[in-house]
Amino acid sequence: MEKNPIIRRLRPEDLAALSGQSSAPVLVRPSRSYWQDAWGRLKANKRALVSLYIIIGLLVFTFIGPLVWQVDPALQDIDQISVAPGADRGAIVVDAFEAWDGQAPAPGFAAGDGLSLAGQPTTQSVKLQWQDMAGADSYLVYRNNFVPDNVNTLGLPLMQISDPSQRFYEDRLDLRPGTYYYSVAALDAFDQRTGDYQTVVADVIRVITVNEVRTRNLVDDPDALRPGDEVRLSWHPLGTDYLGRDMLARLMAGARVSLFIGLLAPLFFVAFGVIYGATSGFVGGRLDSVMMRFADFVVALPFLLFMILFQVVFGIGPGESGIIPMLVALIILSWPATARLVRGQILQIREEAYVSAARLLGASQNYLILRHMIPNTLGVILVTLTFAVPAAIFTEAFLSFIGMGVAPPTASWGSMCNEGLKTMLTHPHELIFPAAMISITVLAFNLLGDGLRDALDAKMRSTE
Amino acid sequence: MKQEDPSDFVQAPGDRLTRAAGKQLAVYGVAAVLLLTAAMFLLNALAGLTSSAAGMSRMAVDVENNTITSYLRQEPPQMNSMLATDAVSGMVLAHVMEGLLRYDQYGELVGGVAERWQLEGNTMTFWLRDDARWSNGEPVTAHDFEFAWKNLLSPSVGSQYAFILYPILNAEQANNGEVPIDDVGINAVDDRTLVVTLATPIAYFDRMVAFVTYLPANEAFYRQTDGRYGADADEMLYNGPFMMTSWVHGASMRLEKNPYYWDADRIRLDAINFAHMTSDSSTLLNLFKDNQIVMADLGSEMLEEAMLQGWSLNQFMEGTVFYTDFNHRPERLTANLNLRKAMALVHDSGELVNKVIKLPGYLPGKSLFPVWLPGVDDNFREEYPAPVYQRDVAQARVYLQRALDELGLDRLPPLVLLTGDTPVSRIQAEYYQEVFKRNLDIDLVIDAQIFRQRLEKMTAGDFDLVAAGWGPDYNDPLTFGDLYASWNLNNRGRYSNPALDAQVRIAQNSLDMTERMRAFAEIQRIIHEDVVMMPDYERGYVYVTHPQVRGIVRHVIGAETDFTNAWIDAGE
Repeated sequence: MEKNPIIRRLRPEDLAALSGQSSAPVLVRPSRSYWQDAWGRLKANKRALVSLYIIIGLLVFTFIGPLVWQVDPALQDIDQISVAPGADRGAIVVDAFEAWDGQAPAPGFAAGDGLSLAGQPTTQSVKLQWQDMAGADSYLVYRNNFVPDNVNTLGLPLMQISDPSQRFYEDRLDLRPGTYYYSVAALDAFDQRTGDYQTVVADVIRVITVNEVRTRNLVDDPDALRPGDEVRLSWHPLGTDYLGRDMLARLMAGARVSLFIGLLAPLFFVAFGVIYGATSGFVGGRLDSVMMRFADFVVALPFLLFMILFQVVFGIGPGESGIIPMLVALIILSWPATARLVRGQILQIREEAYVSAARLLGASQNYLILRHMIPNTLGVILVTLTFAVPAAIFTEAFLSFIGMGVAPPTASWGSMCNEGLKTMLTHPHELIFPAAMISITVLAFNLLGDGLRDALDAKMRSTE
Repeated sequence: MKQEDPSDFVQAPGDRLTRAAGKQLAVYGVAAVLLLTAAMFLLNALAGLTSSAAGMSRMAVDVENNTITSYLRQEPPQMNSMLATDAVSGMVLAHVMEGLLRYDQYGELVGGVAERWQLEGNTMTFWLRDDARWSNGEPVTAHDFEFAWKNLLSPSVGSQYAFILYPILNAEQANNGEVPIDDVGINAVDDRTLVVTLATPIAYFDRMVAFVTYLPANEAFYRQTDGRYGADADEMLYNGPFMMTSWVHGASMRLEKNPYYWDADRIRLDAINFAHMTSDSSTLLNLFKDNQIVMADLGSEMLEEAMLQGWSLNQFMEGTVFYTDFNHRPERLTANLNLRKAMALVHDSGELVNKVIKLPGYLPGKSLFPVWLPGVDDNFREEYPAPVYQRDVAQARVYLQRALDELGLDRLPPLVLLTGDTPVSRIQAEYYQEVFKRNLDIDLVIDAQIFRQRLEKMTAGDFDLVAAGWGPDYNDPLTFGDLYASWNLNNRGRYSNPALDAQVRIAQNSLDMTERMRAFAEIQRIIHEDVVMMPDYERGYVYVTHPQVRGIVRHVIGAETDFTNAWIDAGE
């Protein structure tokens, strides 16, 4: 570094009086209010911003979604139970079902050697016929989704036919388009397998009757349909659940319940907590300690027990929604955390020098509250609120999961998870979608809360 | 902030801090994982020491000790055969006790303690075998039966199943306290002869004595237990193939072969452990996969996996009929016939079973009488096919309109559907909710209750519709046929129809099988035409058994799961 040139040599000009102007650069930037500053910091936080977009997206999904996707979440599409997203929807129109008496196989399906099909296998029914097996006292019909290797792995036992002269069977059980392996095993007089069995492959196609087309409103003119025509079944972008109800519509309906609890409950209990804590902190003294001991008492109350008690007190009969007691229980039991936080904040501000100064200058109580207390606690309150929302959503999901929330047929993400859990291995989409919705929502609210905390409270800024 | 002067650039202190903190966190994380793993093993070892199943084999099949391990669906309330009402007690009792008659592995009625028996007019005589012994070595005598039966009929004992002895002369009166208990027509002539006088000759009494309530009890031992008979493993005497050697309440039970059993050669297992008491199907499936139990019932969502694993699956028709019962009390809307008809016309048991329940083994319900009931020569349902309603929504709406006119309503208020809390009954209730809403605009409110609570509400009549089930007590259509008799307390909807009552009387009192079957057919017709109830399904099970265990039998009547004929085939 060079030495300071000023010290090098002083000249008379240096000691001349300055003109009116200062040569120093003007080090000012536009004055920004607290909120402008906070918003700026929030915008700089990418995680918080993305979370904010997700939450906006969720609100659109919940409130505008049902206007776009006008499907009744309670409508059961019995033809498409537990259908995964993107499944083929084509179906061939056939005549109404009539039970088969085992006579006269369809043309082209004459009885051959052993086990054979007696008609086109459809989702309506699969007709089987077989020849007499030696030593059979009765027959057991099996169905398998996989190729059976031996007599022990024939698959699902569908029906035992105790009359050996009846050598046909019509399967109607939960048929889906795809390949099935039917087997018929001979049983001896003691219902033990003789080891004799035969297998046939059935490629089942999806069919629908005109009547079903009419009740489901699939085409404009169902009477014009003839057997063999192809119709498209109704579309379920996210698949269907175990009763054929549209997952997308149910997710939207569930979001409404989750957001109802998730937004309303925190709003109420944070508001109550703020008033309670602020009063306690501002008044101080004996009232403060009494009020805070009461808050401690409320903290000690068990939430789940109270939920059950409220359901009883509210006279929530079976089959009625437990959402209102849940809301009340959440409000009554969750406020002390906010109250404590706000009380602490108020106590702190009360002792600040600027408050004392304001007092000395003769500021009224109202002025102190409006000018100093509220603005300085607002950040804390806002942060509490954003963290309370995911907690409430999670509580709702948890309670619905254990069956204490909504009553069927109303959907909630928690109850959908509960239902989806049972079919987790075979139809994972029934669990994954609601679980993902809960996770994303809770994460988004948490990250937004985190960002807000950083933005609103300079003291609590994380080191980034 | 922007750094203008490169010489001032230093690494942000925060960065270094983060890195250090990260390192520390990682160390902590590894330590925590290691600690938790150690704790896990420690706790597991501790649990193994204190577990109720301690000392029991943890393997499903123990070839060395000739022992198998299974489960009970729930803890039996007690093992006193005079008080037992539930299926689990019935199943265990069938292993540790033996009545006069029993069902063999083919479901045929054979002699148990009785060697032979004969019905002559009103009198049924049983001759007992002389080698039947209690587990303390004393002989089983006719007095043991006389004592047990008379004891359970006495009003002070309060047996809920006392009514099953009502065919015996004066039994009903004695149970109501109207005549002394000694007037009941049960008489042990000597140690080996039991004479039972019936109120009226009935053709199916031999089938009834195989029921749990007809089991014997040793009087001296019963008195000695001082009211705790059947409450614990050592508070009972056993005369069956097995005896209970341990009963840890709520956790496990162990049965060992009874050396005093007269037909002990027939029994090929040395012991049966019931190491788990749970009915949760996924827990049971996991236990089975873990090779801890020899059999497990499968739910519809587990079938695909079972097929993939290539398990040997079995199917079993349990014999129980499930139906949706209406409340016929006059103040209820469902007392209206047209409303019931409308609902029956949109109800489709085939769709329920094939599309919604999706379990093989379930049969769509068509009648109160299940398919397996015997008729005169063939099965009853073969001889008298059940009339059914085909779904006809247009016709149903006509009936609904008529019902609304009769009731003077514009729109029906919501109806309460009382149902159980099992997965199948919940799905079924939700399906009905939609079916009746979509087709008839009837709102159903689902009232899901645990079994005990549901029974209480059914008795109180606190429902409009109820998902009910009825299992057979003995192998005769009458076990279902008298369900809707106006005097039957199990007629929860209080249906009352003199025409049906008259047919029940015929079925009860006639000795002519053809006449009785005609009466049952008439009952079936009345129930259909009056829409007393809507048949839902006959329940079946798909279950998987351990490949080494053979001869597990499941009965419609008697023990639901019967291990007495089972053996271990170590060859596989």
